[in-house]
Amino acid sequence: MDVVGMKSLAAAFAIAVGAIGPGIGIGILAGKAMEAIGRNPEATGQIQTNMILAIVFAEAIAIYALVVALIILFV
Amino acid sequence: MIKKLFTVRNLLILLAVIALFAVSGLLRLRVVLPEVSLAAEPIFYIGSFAVTNSLLTSWLVMIVLIVVAFLATRRMPKDLESASNEELVPRGSLQNALEMIVEGFYGMTRNVGGSWAPKFFPIIMTMFLFVILSNFSGLLPFVSSVGLLEHPHGAQPGHVAVGVVLTAVKAPVSEEGYVLIPFLRAPSTDLNFPLALALVTVTLSQYFGLRALKLGYVKKFFNFSGFKKGVLMGVALLVAGLLEIVSEFAKIISLTFRLFGNILAGEVLLAVLAFLIPYLVSVPFYGLEVFVGFVQALVFFMLTLVFFSLAVTGHSEEAHS
Repeated sequence: MDVVGMKSLAAAFAIAVGAIGPGIGIGILAGKAMEAIGRNPEATGQIQTNMILAIVFAEAIAIYALVVALIILFV
Repeated sequence: MIKKLFTVRNLLILLAVIALFAVSGLLRLRVVLPEVSLAAEPIFYIGSFAVTNSLLTSWLVMIVLIVVAFLATRRMPKDLESASNEELVPRGSLQNALEMIVEGFYGMTRNVGGSWAPKFFPIIMTMFLFVILSNFSGLLPFVSSVGLLEHPHGAQPGHVAVGVVLTAVKAPVSEEGYVLIPFLRAPSTDLNFPLALALVTVTLSQYFGLRALKLGYVKKFFNFSGFKKGVLMGVALLVAGLLEIVSEFAKIISLTFRLFGNILAGEVLLAVLAFLIPYLVSVPFYGLEVFVGFVQALVFFMLTLVFFSLAVTGHSEEAHS
């Protein structure tokens, strides 16, 4: 296989594997937040803010994988 | 309900959009698949110092911040201590809006930082405003789409240019093709910008830690007190200190790549979507990127605040009490 094909495969693999963990994490996070809102609807605003902050932290890991994929593809 | 939609203004907007499609169809304009360059391109040189497009944009952002800060604080009384209540009332909508923002964030800082909030607040608020304007600067029109046409340096062939417009047609020979070197580029999409901010953050947290705990802060990294309880305990505490040192460097890396990756990924996403389905599909994602730009600046603010607060709270007292 030539270098370009190998690079594309490597980039695709990097982001595919790197997205698994954050995907599961964000799912758990949002699920728990929904549970919390269901139990205590008055606290919706606060729960939502904290949920978004926590989701951003989980998402950052996927972004690291994306940066690695971009570096493989374009550098 | 539907009748309300057919106002003159809406019809004009509809006509303008249709005309835009017709013109771009007639001229055969197509959105170019973006060529992502991770490094910022130099635009001009001062001596041997290369001024890159992201550096230029960060200077513009600084100028905007300074001018807005000057305009907002212009009518404040000079001496806040002796000013009467009437003089302290904000004058004008700009000062009002900015005071609201600053007060909101000061409340957040006080919740986390406690008595250290007055020391933390100026630096982290400045960083927040700088980061959020830098993130938004990439979303402005003409930024990273207007620039110089140059021949590519690498192996990529480049595109054919008609007049001053770069088309989507690939050039057959590399000497004839062009790539766009934009005048302006969001500073957050240049790795140097978040790296510099992260270095400042981590260095300052060491400074605040040293100032609050004096030599007790160094004990966090080099703890020899465990040897009193035996060799095993001593070695364990030394290894724990080593891990603390590593985690300081991990902070730099995670802060840097979180900001850089999110904003760069957002710009690439917008460009790729515009390439796949022009004009329409990138609009909702534009809104998403506005949100991401705000949230990333907020996260940078929160993390800096938490790092500072962790540095000034004693490590050992907490464990024993």
